[in-house]
Amino acid sequence: MPFKSEINFKLVSRLIGNLLLVESATMLFVLVITLLFNEDDGRYFIYSSLIALALALLMILFGRNAPARAGKREGSMIVTFAWVFFSAIGALPFWMSGAIPSYTNAFFETMSGFTTTGASILDNIEELSHGILFWRAMTHWLGGLGIVVISMAILPMLGINGVHLFAAETTGPTKDKFSPKVNDTARILFIVYIFLTIAETVFLYFGGMSLFDSVTHSFSTVATGGFSTKQTSIAYWENSPYIQYVLAFFMLLSGVNFAMYFFGYKRKFFKIKENEELRYYLYIMIGASLMVMISLIDFSDTINLSVIEKAWRDSFFTISSLMTTTGFVTVDYMTWKPVTWVVIVIIMLIGASAGSTAGGIKVVRIVIAAKACYYEFKRIIHPSAVIPVRYNKIVVHDNTMIRVLTFIILYLSVTLIGILVLMISGMGISESIGGMITCISCVGPGFETVGPSGNFNNIPEFSKWFLSFVMLMGRLELYTVLMILTPAFWRH
Amino acid sequence: MNRDLNIKLISRVLGGLLLIEAAFLLTPIAVALMYGETEMIRYYLFTMLIALVLGLSGIAAGWKAESTVGKREGAVIVTSTWLLYTLIGSLPFWMSGFIPDFTDAFFETLSGFTTTGTSILNNIESLPYNLLFWRSMTHWIGGLGIVVIFLAILPMIGGAGYQLFTSESTTPTREKILPKINQTAKILLYVYVVLTLLCALALLLAGMNGFDALNHALSTISTGGFSTKQLSIAYFQSPAIEYVIIFFMFFSGVNFTLYYFLVKFNFDKIIKNEELKYYIIVLVVAAVIIFLSHIDYNNSSGFRDFEKSFRSSLFIVTSCITSTGLCTEDYTLWNSFTWVVMLVLMISGASTYSTSGGIKISRVVLIVKFCYYEFKKLVHPNAIIPVKFNGQIVKDEMMMRILAFTMIYTLIIVIGTFVLSLSGLGFIESMSGMITCMSDVGLGLGQLGPTHSFSEIPVFSKWFLAFVMIVGRLEVYSVLLLFTPEFWKK
Repeated sequence: MPFKSEINFKLVSRLIGNLLLVESATMLFVLVITLLFNEDDGRYFIYSSLIALALALLMILFGRNAPARAGKREGSMIVTFAWVFFSAIGALPFWMSGAIPSYTNAFFETMSGFTTTGASILDNIEELSHGILFWRAMTHWLGGLGIVVISMAILPMLGINGVHLFAAETTGPTKDKFSPKVNDTARILFIVYIFLTIAETVFLYFGGMSLFDSVTHSFSTVATGGFSTKQTSIAYWENSPYIQYVLAFFMLLSGVNFAMYFFGYKRKFFKIKENEELRYYLYIMIGASLMVMISLIDFSDTINLSVIEKAWRDSFFTISSLMTTTGFVTVDYMTWKPVTWVVIVIIMLIGASAGSTAGGIKVVRIVIAAKACYYEFKRIIHPSAVIPVRYNKIVVHDNTMIRVLTFIILYLSVTLIGILVLMISGMGISESIGGMITCISCVGPGFETVGPSGNFNNIPEFSKWFLSFVMLMGRLELYTVLMILTPAFWRH
Repeated sequence: MNRDLNIKLISRVLGGLLLIEAAFLLTPIAVALMYGETEMIRYYLFTMLIALVLGLSGIAAGWKAESTVGKREGAVIVTSTWLLYTLIGSLPFWMSGFIPDFTDAFFETLSGFTTTGTSILNNIESLPYNLLFWRSMTHWIGGLGIVVIFLAILPMIGGAGYQLFTSESTTPTREKILPKINQTAKILLYVYVVLTLLCALALLLAGMNGFDALNHALSTISTGGFSTKQLSIAYFQSPAIEYVIIFFMFFSGVNFTLYYFLVKFNFDKIIKNEELKYYIIVLVVAAVIIFLSHIDYNNSSGFRDFEKSFRSSLFIVTSCITSTGLCTEDYTLWNSFTWVVMLVLMISGASTYSTSGGIKISRVVLIVKFCYYEFKKLVHPNAIIPVKFNGQIVKDEMMMRILAFTMIYTLIIVIGTFVLSLSGLGFIESMSGMITCMSDVGLGLGQLGPTHSFSEIPVFSKWFLAFVMIVGRLEVYSVLLLFTPEFWKK
């Protein structure tokens, strides 16, 4: 079916222009940080901010007479290019200040920030100035904010994603159930997001972190990003179980569907209790943590409480970090048994809840797919019986199940193809598997040289661009980005 | 289910099938007589006796069985057939002491009957001719079972979308299962036997001796992968033999019902067959990719080297996609990305209605089409763009089944990889071991590569992989259905 109209480029341009104004303003805010710490690289933020401003004004100017109609195609273009532009401009402070001399690296780092991945090319994080570190954490926070608002408020409106639409119908906010307007939904989510950030900062600060570290780590956690201000990530605070537990707990909280907080606020606790995604999210996380914990305990040694506590802390922290696709590390899991790697791969692919800042396939899809598979068995035995699949007590349509299954298979296929591409580009098999999965699910650490104790600095140039693309694709749930690449998208 | 499982019928059918195995056991006896290995004959006779006794008592127990048969009976019959055949078929290996451990003997025989080809033997040449022959024979019987019994029963079990992959005339429906089984089975059986004979003849002409030619023909047409040599096909160092095997592996991966059209001179149907088209495309593209990765771009190399690397790429690709598992080179020394290509091919497998394993090309093609259709639907929500296969419109319901099947298949691989790594195998070994057994290929990576065998893996892993081989061979549902509570509920 041909489209009646051409793509509304003017509107796309105007909206991206508006968003760039936000980025420009944020950069000026970072300038304040550099002044607070008496650092001399504030001018780079002024330059970048001015460039963002100029571009924003140009784009707004170009789209000043834009008609107000917007459809899916405009929606997916706005979302995709918002991330691309943000990263291209957000990379400037890193690049100009010389903190990251190569633009490829700067772009990779910034894209990793805005997609809340947390994969880094830096091997000397502590040497960077506070301003740069703050901007790095800020990219996470802005990216996470974008995802929360876009995935919860804008994508369902555009009907871009089946599951989100579906999740919105049953658990999350719909236009009539939650709030009448998109703006209101966005506002509530924004408040939840800010509230979580502040709460975590307070907890971390009382645990003995400096204020700067508390704020940057909170930004990073709530956005499920994973950038730390230390080269060793959270292992830097290895003597403080309190900090590790606080982070693990807040990572867990950031992986919950944000609509749950809204229900909690409205005292609709039955909605939280009934929510299957939340339940399975917790089951999977605790189950995986226990499994890893058991594999970590050396049973030939004496076992006392502190050994168990340490094993539990390490496994829970790691699983919480990887499942919510944050990517903080306290221990190098490459030193663990291979069986834990399989668990880690599975957990990374699953991801956390829909409607959170986490990446991955999302628990809701896994639950529906598992039910669909079991339903298939039942149907084979009783071909004529009608046995509906239920999610949150509501019957799931065949159509939805097909969409969910297609999404998962597409996700796995893209992962597989990506692994092949990475290997052809010259990376080893473990690096390719780990790198691809960690980037498509927006986690951060991969395996071997791109693992927790390594970084992405030494991978080939091509692989960096490719992985940047993968991060964006994974972040926007494949369809949004891949859609633009189909010929059908451009046909009038 | 509102009726009892027809155990009498199951017992009668299984009994009958065991008598067939007893008859097949005559073949290694003949080989033993021919090569003067008479001391081995008593093991076969004893095994035959057991098969006969079990078979006859099975038939006796099911004497007056009603002829009602449904999916549940079908699932029980196919699963137990493979188990019983393996239990009995492993006796000659075990009793003769050539495979002293029963776990190993069971693993080897099951690997034979499921046409997998993973071996626990480290010195194949030390086996007497008759055992080697029985080993190849297990492949051939397994392939025969797939072609004749299983493919006829499968559509009845409702396995993912089988109705789609053949013309209606050969699809058995539930009511008229028995006459249709016979009809389809007969065609497939002829194809199978003719292909085997042609393959043996071609190998003979290419320079193999009679014994090796026959054994490799049995192993190739069933897409098994057992060889009579430790080095597999690499032993022969003969391009002619390698090309012959490539061709026959390819032919065994083609939908067998297409040969029926070939005999009827209905070339139109063959040319239009999408499964065949994509099978060839995938095979060629993968071979070219691997071939390109072989070229040493820094040195000029002659035609001879090109030919050699082309041949070895084509061989390994065909061997993986048809789930045969014969090999000519140690691919673990190749560029590691070729491993990923190999694993992908193993998972995809060749055509439906062939002896190959894996998800099958037609399902993969349908899924790719469907994914693209989903994109189209996102962009044009109101348009109705049907997915077509072989000119037929594929219904959503069918699509759902195919997606669910693929999902379950993938899920099992993931879980299996986890179980294997839990049992103490390394990461690459677990992943490749799981995929190779699930898709019944036989080629592993790392410590399971062509220069190693499965003999060193833990005992638990052997039993687990044996289970996986059956699950993969019988396309998941037939086996896993037996583990659902609904199956046993009345």
